Amino acid sequence: MSDAVIVESVRSAGARYKRGGLAYTRADDYAIQVLKGLLARVPQLKPEDVDDIIVGCAFPEAEQGMNLGRVLSVGAGLPVTTSGMTVNRFCSSGIQAIADATAKIRAGWSDVIIAGGVETMTHIPMGGSILRPNPDWDFDAGMPNVYVSMGITAENVAADYKISREDMDKFGLESNRRAYEAIKAGKFKEETIPVMATRYTISKNGKRIKEKFVFDTDDGVRWPSKLEDMAKLKSPFKQGGNVTAANSSQMTDGAAFSLLMTPEKAKEIGVKPIARLAYYAVAGNRPEEMGVGPSYAIPKVLKMAGLTTKDIDVFEINEAFASQCLYSIRQLGLEDRYKAGDVNPNGGAIALGHPLGCTGAKLTAQLLHEMKRRKSKRGIVSMCIGGGMGAAGIYEML
Amino acid sequence: MAYEIKKAAVLGAGVMGAAIAAHLTNAGIECALLDIIPFELTDADKAKGLTEKSPEWRNRFAQTGLANALKSKPASFFSKKNASLIKTGNFDDNLNWLADVDWVIEAVVENLKIKQELFSKVEKIVRPDCIVTTNTSGIPMRDISANFGPKLKGQFLGTHFFNPPRYMKLLEVIPGEETKPEVVRFMTDFCETILGKGVVISKDVPNFVGNRIGTYDISNAVHLMLEKSLRIDELDAIISKALGRPGSGIFGTLDIVGLDTGQNVMKNLYAAVPDDEMREMFVQADFMNKMVERKWLGNKTKQGFYKKTKDARGKSVKLVIDYNTMEYLPAGRPRFASVSSALKKSDEGAAAMIKEIFNGADVAAELAREYLCNNFIYAANRVPEISETIVGIDNAMKWGYNHQLGPFETWDAVGVREAVDVMKKLKKKVPEKVQEMLKKKFETFYLQKEDGRYYYDFSKKDYVKLETDSRIIVLSDLKSQNKKVAGNGSASLVDIGDGVACLEFHTKMNAIDDGMIEMIQKSCDIVEKDFVGMVVGNHGVNFSAGANIFKVLMAAQKGDWDLLEQQVDALQTANMRMKYLSKPVVTAPAGLALGGGCEMAMHGVKCLPHGETYMGLVEVGVGLIPAGGGCKELALRMTEGLPEGVVEAGQNMQHLYMKALENIAMAKVSTSAAEAMELGYIRKTENISLSRDQHIWNAKQMVLGLQKFYRKPFPVLIPVMGENLRGLAEAMFYNMLHGNYMSEYDMHVARKVAYILSGGDCAEGTFVSEKELLDLEKESFLSLCGEKKTQDRIMYMLNTGKPLRN
Repeated sequence: MSDAVIVESVRSAGARYKRGGLAYTRADDYAIQVLKGLLARVPQLKPEDVDDIIVGCAFPEAEQGMNLGRVLSVGAGLPVTTSGMTVNRFCSSGIQAIADATAKIRAGWSDVIIAGGVETMTHIPMGGSILRPNPDWDFDAGMPNVYVSMGITAENVAADYKISREDMDKFGLESNRRAYEAIKAGKFKEETIPVMATRYTISKNGKRIKEKFVFDTDDGVRWPSKLEDMAKLKSPFKQGGNVTAANSSQMTDGAAFSLLMTPEKAKEIGVKPIARLAYYAVAGNRPEEMGVGPSYAIPKVLKMAGLTTKDIDVFEINEAFASQCLYSIRQLGLEDRYKAGDVNPNGGAIALGHPLGCTGAKLTAQLLHEMKRRKSKRGIVSMCIGGGMGAAGIYEML
Repeated sequence: MAYEIKKAAVLGAGVMGAAIAAHLTNAGIECALLDIIPFELTDADKAKGLTEKSPEWRNRFAQTGLANALKSKPASFFSKKNASLIKTGNFDDNLNWLADVDWVIEAVVENLKIKQELFSKVEKIVRPDCIVTTNTSGIPMRDISANFGPKLKGQFLGTHFFNPPRYMKLLEVIPGEETKPEVVRFMTDFCETILGKGVVISKDVPNFVGNRIGTYDISNAVHLMLEKSLRIDELDAIISKALGRPGSGIFGTLDIVGLDTGQNVMKNLYAAVPDDEMREMFVQADFMNKMVERKWLGNKTKQGFYKKTKDARGKSVKLVIDYNTMEYLPAGRPRFASVSSALKKSDEGAAAMIKEIFNGADVAAELAREYLCNNFIYAANRVPEISETIVGIDNAMKWGYNHQLGPFETWDAVGVREAVDVMKKLKKKVPEKVQEMLKKKFETFYLQKEDGRYYYDFSKKDYVKLETDSRIIVLSDLKSQNKKVAGNGSASLVDIGDGVACLEFHTKMNAIDDGMIEMIQKSCDIVEKDFVGMVVGNHGVNFSAGANIFKVLMAAQKGDWDLLEQQVDALQTANMRMKYLSKPVVTAPAGLALGGGCEMAMHGVKCLPHGETYMGLVEVGVGLIPAGGGCKELALRMTEGLPEGVVEAGQNMQHLYMKALENIAMAKVSTSAAEAMELGYIRKTENISLSRDQHIWNAKQMVLGLQKFYRKPFPVLIPVMGENLRGLAEAMFYNMLHGNYMSEYDMHVARKVAYILSGGDCAEGTFVSEKELLDLEKESFLSLCGEKKTQDRIMYMLNTGKPLRN
């Protein structure tokens, strides 16, 4: 069996919902720029050598529809011989794409694949534009509710596992602090592909005009923040609830991609592999508490690899909600590692955003570049998944 | 010269200025809102990178005023969207905007010099036909306009709004000596017709009409309370609903206004009226001065005459100040025999209640007698000093102070001669003109004759006919002139002229009963034969508060399903009859139009709501669903704009129907007619009438306009989402239930709503008839009537007036 290695991993900056840098830019437009930016970093690779593009997307419709993978392969100017597909496993779609690419290359069915994820949450509503839950399913009778709102699941986790409001708010605050420090230190510069974004304004003579500008920095970070201000917020999901805008992930727009190939191809064109996705696992759980997913997926993938958390140098555990992320950290015994900065070292989705289908690929780019800086050996990307699942992948640096 | 106001400018963006601007937008008038430039850049401004050139900084006061108006409670705007009609600016950069406006209203700080300086700039900019007014509450017109050129003097007058301008009907118009009569005429008409206000023409005197009489009224009450050693809560129990006054009483109202504001008005008035025979009354009581010193100013400082706290068990307790010790004590619920027996006559109206107290024997009656007599004398002595007629004073107190009856109407209520006898006993100085009037056997201030209403004119020493405005239709007058075409105890059909009939409801709260439904059918029969069309409207506070749920409960408890079904059928059929009548039916809701009342308002071919229309399908509050065609009409309104073919092409109606579902399941009630349009109860293509007085006349004009080429509507088919809507609804209900926004039973009722709106068991994109949806409404309604929790909800509502969340 062949191996699959990652030679480059990049992302766009995360743009906050509706008011961020990508609010008026089409998802395909910025995704293509990230793709081109990735390819530009590996000039030795001939475009016709790219066999396939696999794109994760949680709501593949509207501008993300019509098989986004194929739309992007053509849109990025790759030859028509480069194929494209779209995969959807909601919040893990981005890493799922990388896992699928890895498996395909390892099977010997492809030499070079670009894999990643794209999501515009500004343009496509949660649940999609046309939501049609099955009217005949009776969730009161105990059938798992795959349509449950994410906020309710987060409230459930907080209530059932006694994650206090104060702990959640502190976690949210720390996420923002870490992200702010990381941006200030320029840590994200290397992994970020600046994109030319669009905005519409009204000119002096009253005409509406389209403008272009460079978008290159995550724009959702809320710093400085104060715990007492956060404590005043009310839950939009539940009367008297504790899950708020300040301790939940931000809805965000973004794209991220990695370039994968066989080690032989890398050698042939003279690029140095940086890492491989060594193991990947998905675990199912109750949809009503979907956020606990990482607490099942991480042990599952560790067992597969014959490793323990001690063997992992850095974790990126997606912060869909402080309640579920904190729960997972506690359940895995990672509280000290979190404090030490080994878990979500540069902040998480509460500060940097959670562009659903892009997130797995975005966290991969963040993790690989962090491990490069730290000269670490192994890292994990993990997240909970709407509908009740968790995903986790172990990356090994080469 | 024909005047017209399309654009206005308000100078001064304080509470009043901004709220006036807001109300102008309610009437659809574009408005500039200007204020001064801030005094200096703050550190925060500098940190934000603002300079003295930044418009954000320069326009800050006007911007803040607008922002505050948007937040104000009760709301200043009919809809927040109206704010887009307001352009904010400042006096230094934007006064040139005034060259483009038809009306400038000055509402800056009450300082003569500042006003004069501002007007001297305004004078150079405004067009010659621009009307310029001041909203001053006390400074004389002659002082403000002293330096004006003759042109501006002709265009200048006072327009004094009462706070809050959207809700208070009174607007005092104060002509200056040189104001052109046509300007006064135009502004009076404009403020009545377009802004919906009630205009009182006032002389150019201190505090004008309302606040002059009002200030005396309050001082009079306070002095009598002190004299008779009554408590504050006792006075508020006497001068309250039983005397036709607001339930908050004298002191409760002062707490809302603010003691500092009250003190200022008194001080200014004292200084301005050296010749007033009651001037010494305007010296504020010591204890009130102390309260101002201690900043116990009322609601805005969380304590005034009253203070709300919580006891050890967390129950809220109302405290009242003891003016002898300046300590707060628990407020009681003082009872007085005369007040209680007056309140029993509340159905007979304010006049009967006031008379009852006036003739009572206890201390409350004693106080009320002297209080009212003092008021009568003061008011009579102010004619013609502040108002040419007694009518202006009565209107000012009704419209500006929410008194049910003005002083002269009150005097009539207790008997003019009887009151004079009391005055004599109390050794009061009876105004000579009143003695003279009685000597000549004029026994009342107002007199209803066959050709209209008359008032006594002190200068003419005779009755003078009240000028009638053909645009003010008074149904009771028409009925007394034999214009009632048909009627029963619940409703009447009145001939309002030109071939138009008006169906008037007149039950308590205009709750729907069998008689009313019967009259709809009967009226339709008559109108179809003998009239060109019909208005459905009334002068009640509320168009209709909904079905009589007591009757529903009785039938449900007896298990009389046939009766319930008949009642639902009757309402549905009556509503459909109005809608499809061969003559146009225009509904004219105002005030509450809830439940069945909302459904009736939705079944005219056109609807002309008054601006203050509070509309909603609120049945879920009592465990029921709208079954008079409300669900059906809302489904229709949500989808009727869709062009042919788009449903077949896959139009997603998810958001349209979820909006309808939310409205009904959450019992959403509009806070204005404009919001009723946003919620979808009223079509956005309809007009809104701001004048309650002219409301029925306006609706009549619509009937007259329509009847010339009328063709009744074609039956419609409504596209529905079938069971896919139910899937969507279930997903939403699950989240609401688990988010504590809904109880299990709320969900049960809401599911019925979803079922009706879905069109029943059919595929998405099916077109259903109105009858099909009506049948679904009926079926759900009847099944809910049989449920214990629905019956509990109805019972709870009947007992407490509040919804039960069981």
